[in-house]
Amino acid sequence: MATLRFAALVALVGCGDLEGFGGQAPPLAEVQVAVTGDASLVPATADLRVAMVWGEQWLVEPICILPPENDAAAAVIAAGCRDPFGFVAARTAANVAAAPGETVSIDLFTLPGADVLVGDLTARVAYASLVVYDDRDHSGNLELARPNRIPDRGPMGGAGDLPTNLDDQVLGASFISMTQPDQRVAYREGVFSPVAAFYPRAGCGDPPPAFSVLAAGGFTAQAAIDATLAGTLPKEDPATCAEGALADSVISVPIQDPANVSEIACSERTTDSSVRYREPDPTDDPPDFANRLSACVHSPSFGAPSSTIELVVSGRSEDSCVGLTHYILKGCREGPDCGTPDWDHSLNPPTWWPCGT
Amino acid sequence: MRWVTLLVLLTPAVARADAGRLLTDHSFDTDPGGQLVVDAGLLVGMPAALPAGLSTGIAAGITRTCGCHFSYGARVGWSRVAEPGTAWLVTQDDFRLRAVGAIRHDAGRGSIALRLGLGTTIVHEVRDREQGMRAGLTGSELQTTATRALPAGELEAVVGIKIAGEWWLVASAGPSLDVLSGSARLGWVSQLGVGWQP
Repeated sequence: MATLRFAALVALVGCGDLEGFGGQAPPLAEVQVAVTGDASLVPATADLRVAMVWGEQWLVEPICILPPENDAAAAVIAAGCRDPFGFVAARTAANVAAAPGETVSIDLFTLPGADVLVGDLTARVAYASLVVYDDRDHSGNLELARPNRIPDRGPMGGAGDLPTNLDDQVLGASFISMTQPDQRVAYREGVFSPVAAFYPRAGCGDPPPAFSVLAAGGFTAQAAIDATLAGTLPKEDPATCAEGALADSVISVPIQDPANVSEIACSERTTDSSVRYREPDPTDDPPDFANRLSACVHSPSFGAPSSTIELVVSGRSEDSCVGLTHYILKGCREGPDCGTPDWDHSLNPPTWWPCGT
Repeated sequence: MRWVTLLVLLTPAVARADAGRLLTDHSFDTDPGGQLVVDAGLLVGMPAALPAGLSTGIAAGITRTCGCHFSYGARVGWSRVAEPGTAWLVTQDDFRLRAVGAIRHDAGRGSIALRLGLGTTIVHEVRDREQGMRAGLTGSELQTTATRALPAGELEAVVGIKIAGEWWLVASAGPSLDVLSGSARLGWVSQLGVGWQP
């Protein structure tokens, strides 16, 4: 009897190995990605990889969605405005080697940080796009770039430390724009707010808690404008919606013409999405407008037309990301209507100032 | 004034002690008590199987003393350590089971001993994946458990002092050794508690 008791004790205390801090840590999530589409668009020497990129909250500038004031303004908008409904990258979370026609798995060992989670502590969500790219610099990571705005003396905030030229070439993404069908990875904490306008999917089901894969068919730009005027969110076609677990889903990323998807690797400054204005100081050297387009326009307004004339300048044609730089003769960094202006050169504009006063 | 000063100076000369003595040669004599001592207290030491942290808990033992300088008995203890790593939050419960033998010397109310304990430490480990709950992990991806019995022992210096009647204040500390996955791990353990010797 005593022998049996001892054997039972040994059996009891010999269950499993003590690992401590060691042993293999399972990933927090595993994303299955299939690279599809026209493989001939992939360069023969491409170092093809798939990256998972968390999106950020960013609002397009008003001038980019209002009708252009003149031809010069239309040219600047065409050269300097990104897709108002496009996915805006915040941070690359993970990378893995890929090949056309194959399915690869991306293991996630970290959760999205608070900087990419939108909402409060009781209801916040993050969305990610799966990006196929040619890792031209062979860094193993999809680097992000920023618009090449004309340097200013003040703080720029957000993505100011990113390069303006990107070595890597984006060849496809699962979530490009809200006006196109998309598949995205979602991470939700707490409840989900159906009125949240962060890459909205109104008409679709809520994302499940924690990680999931979502799909939506997209909406038209006009539908978004109409819904905004009505104070609602544009509706998705419920037939195109899907919400599933990561383990049960494969995200398809079709390879495309790089010209259609290059914006995916462009980040934006994250301070508050508002336009920052520059001071055309007559005592400073003239800004370098080489290879940039510029136009003189009234300060864009959704209400009564503004009497303020501003100079808006696009980025350079060789830049990886588009963007606009704004100058006003009188006002503040926040805009022309800031109460007491921080500068006023309306009576003595710089010699290079091309607009009226 | 001069007479008052003289009176003060002479006063000690006429002072005297009470008739009975407060302290005698037997003032600190104690009852030697019985042969059994039961003690319990707090335990602090290095975890048996985790390379970091401080394991804290409780311990108790029973010791039989004989007329000679030798005593023997048994001890049990439980302590816990919880430490976060990069991937896991590791919690280990150490259950110490020991047979002990000690060489002891008593001096007045005090006792000093060198105690050797041999036995096993049963380690129950629970590992929780960092951020796993937030990520929605379940099952073994979220938490793993394991239990192992490790050969173990320690050599402690034990100091006891009889504080009142049958009650002792007991402290001990010393190096410990346990064998994990075939390799010996050196550590330390210390205990502070009270003993009862009816």
